[in-house]
Amino acid sequence: MKIACYLPEIIFTNSDFEREFPDWNASKIEEKVGIRQRHLSAKGETALDMAFQASERVLDGEDKGTVDFILLCTQSPDYFLPTSACILQEKLGLSNKTGALDYNLGCSGFIYGLALAKGLLAAGIATRILLIMSETYSKHLHPADRANRSIFGDGAAAILLDINDLPHIGSFELGTDGSGKNNLIVEAGAMRKPCVSESVAIANEDGTFHSPNHLYMNGPEIFNFTIESVPGLVSSVLQKNNLSLEEIDYVIFHQANKYMLEYLRKKIRIPAEKYYNNMLMTGNTVSATIPIAMVESLEQGKIKPGSKLLLVGFGVGYSWGAVVITW
Amino acid sequence: MKKEEFLRLLKEALEFQDIDLQTATDLRKIEAYDSMAVMAVIAFVDENFSKRLTAKQLAAISTVGDLMELIGMENFSG
Repeated sequence: MKIACYLPEIIFTNSDFEREFPDWNASKIEEKVGIRQRHLSAKGETALDMAFQASERVLDGEDKGTVDFILLCTQSPDYFLPTSACILQEKLGLSNKTGALDYNLGCSGFIYGLALAKGLLAAGIATRILLIMSETYSKHLHPADRANRSIFGDGAAAILLDINDLPHIGSFELGTDGSGKNNLIVEAGAMRKPCVSESVAIANEDGTFHSPNHLYMNGPEIFNFTIESVPGLVSSVLQKNNLSLEEIDYVIFHQANKYMLEYLRKKIRIPAEKYYNNMLMTGNTVSATIPIAMVESLEQGKIKPGSKLLLVGFGVGYSWGAVVITW
Repeated sequence: MKKEEFLRLLKEALEFQDIDLQTATDLRKIEAYDSMAVMAVIAFVDENFSKRLTAKQLAAISTVGDLMELIGMENFSG
């Protein structure tokens, strides 16, 4: 398994927020949610462009002809149709014998991508898969929505998996609860509700802003969902893999926000030294947070060959998933 | 839990160092009572009372006393 990341060039810092919203104490952002800056896609730069950049990095030095499947996770595609993964095949110059599909998931997307990849490899449908997480939530946010703008950052990660990785990908635990759909949603712009012509910001009860065209997140309810679902998810996936928490070398959860992650860590009793909690320089990049964290953990030597990693994703849908992999 | 203890722990959980938190305090009038603070209240109640409060329930209350009623007055003394 090989991983590469791409973060767009524009950096928006907490000081930039202070300049834009002089009455807002933006210095508290780092302390509360653990984010100092986030990368933002430029105007006209899309998740597909970022997916291309991350893919080029992971494919550097590789024989492109060996890739026979593209799985692209995004909730900010270029078009309703065609599929971004199809356009990516041509941009990357991959073979016409490459299978390609997009799948629409948020913070659980990386776990689902690994599950799909494992299935395709195990069934002999594919032998080398390019799995990409690319997200530009910044384009879904209302300019007045400083709270969500402070949390989300744009980013992409590309992972190359082949048949040799199969024994290293353990058992999955996946789950869904569509009753949470209204708590994290971009309501208008697709088929159910067309884009509204004037996107005036609506003030939500908690001081955030959105319009039907923009992302709405009920942060406290999402927090409730995570404290309800994640502890059980962790114990189920460990059980499925016949492992105890003590036998796991490193734990990487979806990097939602520092506060939520620390609360979950304490609740599940995961030792701090084997728990990743860092989104200081990137913010919450949705489906890309786990692979971005893996790259950083590899650089810091926290993940070594043979390390048993517990990976856990949860969020919009609601959708969740966890897996144990051996590096 | 003793009421004084509750007020002290809640104040600590919300990081409201400069605010005199009493049962009559209107949380809505506190500028720092934002969505992160609501999350902190949910965590605080989950941790100390093993009770899950919804965002909707918390959106409907104003004072610290209202919060205590949501948690259930049987949990408090003094």
